[in-house]
Amino acid sequence: MTEDSQRNFRSVYYEKVGFRGVEEKKSLEILLKDDRLDIEKLCTFSQRFPLPSMYRALVWKVLLGILPPHHESHAQVMLYRKEQYCDVLHALKVVRCVTEATPQVEVYLRMYQLESGKLPRSPSFPLEPEDEVFLAIAKAVEEMVEDSVDCYWIIRCFVNQLNNKYRESLPQLPKAFEQYLNLEDSRLLSHLKTCSALSKLPYDLWFKRCFAGCLPESSLQRVWDKVVSGSCKILVFVAVEILLTFKIKVMALNSAEKITKFLENIPQDSSDAIVSKAIDLWHKHCGTPVHSA
Amino acid sequence: MAQQANIGELVSMLDSPVLSVRDDVTAVFKENLNSDRGPMLVNTLVDYYLETSSQPVLHILTTLQEPHDKHLLDKMNDCVGRAASRLPALSLLGHVIRLQPPWKHKLSQAPLLPSLLKCLKVDTDVIVLTTGVLVLITMLPMIPQSGKQHLHDFFDIFGRLSSWCLKKPGHVTEIYLVHLHASVYALFHRLYGMYPCNFVSFLRSHYSMKENLDTFEEVVRPMMEHVRIHPELVTGSKDHELDPRRWKRLETHDVVIECAKISLDPTEASYEDGDSVSPQVSAHFPHRAADVAASPYVDTQNSCGSATSTPYSSSRLTLLNTPGQPPQTLSPPSTRLLTEPPQATLWSPSMVCGMTTPPTSPGNVPPDLSHPYSKVFGPTGGKGTPLGTPATSPPPAPLCHPDDYVHPSVLQATATPPRKEERTDSARPGLHRQHHLPNDRGLEELSGSKGSVTLSDLPGFLGDLASEEDSVEKDKEEAAISKELSEITTADAELLVPRGGFDSPFYRDSLPGCPRKTHSAASVAHGTSVNPEPLNSSLDKLGPDAPKQAFTPIDLPCGGTSESPAGNRERQASLETNILTPSPCKIPPQRGVGLGSGQPPPYEHLFEVALPKTAHHFVCKKTKELLKKAKGNAEEDRAPSTSPVEILDRLIQQGADAHSKELNRLSLPSKSVDWTHFGDEIRTLRNQLLLLHNQLLYERFKRQQHALRNRRLLRRVTRAAALEEHNAAMKDQLKLQEKDIQIWKVSLQKEQARNSQLQEQRDTMVTQLHSQIRQLQHDREEFYNQSQELQTKLEDCRNMIAELRLELKKANSKVCHTELLLSQVSQKLSNSESVQQQMEFLNRQLLVLGEVNELYLEQLQNKHSDTTKEVEMMKAAYRKELEKNRSHVLQQNQRLDTSQKRILELESHLAKKDHLLLEQKKYLEDVKLQARGQLQAAESRYEAQKRITRVFELEILDLYGRLEKDSLLKKLEEEKAEAAEAAEERFACCKDGCSDSVTGHNEEAPGHNGETKPPRPAGVRGGGGSRGGGSGELSTPEKPPSQRAGPFGSRWETTTGEPATSIPTTVGSLPSSKSFLGRKARELFRNKSESQCDEDSVTISSLSETLKTEPGKDPGAEGKAPPSLDGPHPSPPTPDSVGQLHIMDYNETHHEHSEG
Repeated sequence: MTEDSQRNFRSVYYEKVGFRGVEEKKSLEILLKDDRLDIEKLCTFSQRFPLPSMYRALVWKVLLGILPPHHESHAQVMLYRKEQYCDVLHALKVVRCVTEATPQVEVYLRMYQLESGKLPRSPSFPLEPEDEVFLAIAKAVEEMVEDSVDCYWIIRCFVNQLNNKYRESLPQLPKAFEQYLNLEDSRLLSHLKTCSALSKLPYDLWFKRCFAGCLPESSLQRVWDKVVSGSCKILVFVAVEILLTFKIKVMALNSAEKITKFLENIPQDSSDAIVSKAIDLWHKHCGTPVHSA
Repeated sequence: MAQQANIGELVSMLDSPVLSVRDDVTAVFKENLNSDRGPMLVNTLVDYYLETSSQPVLHILTTLQEPHDKHLLDKMNDCVGRAASRLPALSLLGHVIRLQPPWKHKLSQAPLLPSLLKCLKVDTDVIVLTTGVLVLITMLPMIPQSGKQHLHDFFDIFGRLSSWCLKKPGHVTEIYLVHLHASVYALFHRLYGMYPCNFVSFLRSHYSMKENLDTFEEVVRPMMEHVRIHPELVTGSKDHELDPRRWKRLETHDVVIECAKISLDPTEASYEDGDSVSPQVSAHFPHRAADVAASPYVDTQNSCGSATSTPYSSSRLTLLNTPGQPPQTLSPPSTRLLTEPPQATLWSPSMVCGMTTPPTSPGNVPPDLSHPYSKVFGPTGGKGTPLGTPATSPPPAPLCHPDDYVHPSVLQATATPPRKEERTDSARPGLHRQHHLPNDRGLEELSGSKGSVTLSDLPGFLGDLASEEDSVEKDKEEAAISKELSEITTADAELLVPRGGFDSPFYRDSLPGCPRKTHSAASVAHGTSVNPEPLNSSLDKLGPDAPKQAFTPIDLPCGGTSESPAGNRERQASLETNILTPSPCKIPPQRGVGLGSGQPPPYEHLFEVALPKTAHHFVCKKTKELLKKAKGNAEEDRAPSTSPVEILDRLIQQGADAHSKELNRLSLPSKSVDWTHFGDEIRTLRNQLLLLHNQLLYERFKRQQHALRNRRLLRRVTRAAALEEHNAAMKDQLKLQEKDIQIWKVSLQKEQARNSQLQEQRDTMVTQLHSQIRQLQHDREEFYNQSQELQTKLEDCRNMIAELRLELKKANSKVCHTELLLSQVSQKLSNSESVQQQMEFLNRQLLVLGEVNELYLEQLQNKHSDTTKEVEMMKAAYRKELEKNRSHVLQQNQRLDTSQKRILELESHLAKKDHLLLEQKKYLEDVKLQARGQLQAAESRYEAQKRITRVFELEILDLYGRLEKDSLLKKLEEEKAEAAEAAEERFACCKDGCSDSVTGHNEEAPGHNGETKPPRPAGVRGGGGSRGGGSGELSTPEKPPSQRAGPFGSRWETTTGEPATSIPTTVGSLPSSKSFLGRKARELFRNKSESQCDEDSVTISSLSETLKTEPGKDPGAEGKAPPSLDGPHPSPPTPDSVGQLHIMDYNETHHEHSEG
């Protein structure tokens, strides 16, 4: 426990007093110092605290399995990843599926399609909804991550995670959303029900795209911290919080279409607050995740 | 200016004869004064007064209020400064001061005082001086403490004026000097009374000078003879006199009385404390005192005589005047008569003063009179000359006295007769005789005048005489003389008695005092004797008649005095009647009668009883005033409402006016010769009148002070009476209380007695009880002793018992102990017994065993020799064996130990190893994990690659498909044209291509090795899409890939190397178009084969393939080279491509089989 001794003994009390994130960076650094990264600990950490932006990419890569837990192999693995990226890109270029003019996001999409074997014969083929989701996510990630290799890999793994790990839970989210909204504000829920807007809410945008394109990236990445670290329930609370925040406007709107339209284009200025409140709400309802180890 | 004019008018209106107008104007002035604070109005008034000496203005001025006093004083100061207005200003000042305005204290600070002093020091006008001195004298008591700084001025003035009296500088009329002398005398009294020490020291220093010695002798010394030694001379000091504290307690009238007290002059002196004075006086003149005390007349004198006498005299005077006037107007001497009325009035008060004092205080007066014949000199001193005459004249007097006696001395008679007549007849002659002195001359004249006036009855005659005298004499002088006379009559009554004859028994009493008096009288006579002649001469000078006339008044009094006692009363009576009859006065006649008749008013005696002296004063004054009033009324009948005092003033003034008028009107040819003289005379007379007025006013002021004082004393007396009453009442009360106290005392004594009785009883009881107590105590003590003894006994017993108990305990314990011992002993005993038994038993056993032992010993000795060797041997063997075994055991033990240790070591090693193993495992796991991570990455890469290749393949196939389609179309066209020609060549070629494809089919079916895979789709396609088209070309890839690369490349090279030589456009186009794709394809193929090898890790198959390819390579290369080279040429595919394929398959299989 030499690392622990280095930690500030006051850190325990900071949160009690109301400070947040004072010791987070340090503790994260300590976590990242371990030779074999403890994935579980990292998960718990990122669920409990917002990640510092300088470590976000690394943590995400580790959590998404892009990087192995061993530091030694990071370089090599990263090399592999990069080569793979180059190869795929090259192939696409060879096949002329992608040209220099192709937008980066689409490049990512094609690459993903190629890797998943779903590359259409012609680029002019209409995009499927899956691809739309990918594009939205890719756009968001592109904003967050600079390196294109990282970006591609993160997009790829994130989407894979959505498709694999959350395949079962994502469809349950609307129900959970209804439940928590009922707990938080039953009147709003009833209003939505009376407007029969409940079923028409932008669930795809919220849950499938994980708010990509709905929230600005700066706030979005905090949500995605939680998603990446294995909790897709945060999405529900973000949605609830959005509704609570814009309750007055939503209550003022009577038709389902209008509500949906409004919710698809919510103002961006209060997103930070929304996210913070959503995280609080999440912690409140689901309890603060505690490191099991 | 208008205002001033207005004021002027108003002022003039003040004198209007209409009363109401006058009152109104006065009111207006007062209002103005109240509202206006400026000096203008006051100045105007003063000016007007100085011009006209109007009475209302004077009234206003004298009643000025506070803010105007300064203006008034300033104005007067101005006027005093001017010689012209000095005299009226002084008289105004005198008027103002005499009323004692509330601001009188300011006088000392006012500049008026110094200017007045300066005027007195400098001025040479006797009238002014006299007036000024009188004013100053009046003022002094008002400002006693502030006189300090002016003290030496006062003294200087005194010195100057006193020397004046003697030296007569300039052409001063002697008559004036008489006035001056009188005022200086008054000043002397005042200064001596107020500042005795300073004054005496001044006198001492001033008159020690030689040039002043005369003055002292002549003037001052006589004055000094009329004063007592001032007590302050003894007790006080110069500074103490000037101490303001001394003066603070004294009011103005106090000061005046103080001054009067030290005077021996009856006119000046006051006798308020008669008791204190009379003893002195009696001491001085025991005979007088004795007289007074002895004479039964005193009372009568007091009650009746004096009372009657005063009115008498006054009435007489008035009577004298009244009847005398009318005739005087007619006769030439009536000019004198003209002055007579005022003189009479003036004279009468002075007379009254002179008269009243003696009679009002009869008890005292006689003594006073007796010695104050020196006082008589006081006035005489003032009027030295006139007195001188009487003083000196006595010798001749007797000559004339009988004649004169009859008429003139009515005045004196009024005063003296009541007393002296009744006292002693013998004294009377002396008295009369004395009065002859002045009389003798007067008589001479009287004789003349008598002749003219004898027609009337006695009163009338007398009145004439009086008038004559008055007119002749100066009023002042006359007043003084009359005073003197009145006093002399009284005083000289004694003086003369001894002189006149010592026959009278009365005078014997006074004999002892006589010599001195005579002496003093003589000295006075000496002092004055110098003057009389010149004075007389001067008087004579005045006019032809003047000298004689001047002395006539003396005659008159003398006449009065010399009047026979018998006739006296008759005259009086007649006079009284006269008073009453002619006068239309409003005084009730009864009163006049009452007064005149000598009967005091019925209540008068009450006064006497209650207020012995004051009453007299009061009554006398009253009567006097009444008489005056009556007289005034008789004279004037004009101002009934005015007070007698005012009447008096007015009378004098009117007299003056009348006089002047008369003078103007009279054209007296007979006296024309003397006209100039007449004028002079008139002037002197007027001045005299003025002086007399001043004197009068001064006297009145004095009187007022006296009155003030009297009022105060009266108050004191009443208060004292009340206090006495109160005392009496208190005494009664005291007595009552004393009685009460006595009663209480008696009861107290009773109570005390009872108390003592009770106490005794109680004492006895107490003693009894005490004795009982004592007895009981004694008993108790006895009992106590007994009980104590018993208690000691008890304690002894207890101790004994305790001891016994202890002993008992001890014994018991002993018994117990012995019992215990006993039991032990018994036990021991039993034990020992059992032991003995055992011993016995053992002994027996011992014996038995001994025997057995002996037996065994015997047996042993028998057997011992046989067994020892064997036994020893065996023993040794055993021993050795034992040792061996022991060492063996030791060895074994050691081995065990070592092995155990070894085991432990090994175990630890084992544990370590296990641990290590675990770590290793962990590490391995870790490494595995790491490797797996990497592997996963690689796998994913591989996956990606696979995908890529797939894509590529797809693409390639696509491209092939397209290519074949194109070429097929071309071939179809060519076929039609060259079908026949190229049939054979094509056939061969087709064989190869078909064989390849066949082998691919073959392989695919049984082995599904990697080799088969790629061809399969190609085959499918080739089979499906382009049947015969690609057969030639397909054949080449169908060869083992590894090798195919080489031939391909070579082919490419060849083709590229020799495109122009052999290959047609289409053929040339083919490789050119395919140049890039081809390369890629080759790479792909190679990669695929490699990856296949890697992946499948089926080394055997790969080996076999390599083996297969190697041999196949060469023949393939050899065999196929030509067709491949040729391929393009015989491009037109055979229609029976299927057959070709079959062949090719066969070939291939054949090859394989052969090689395999």
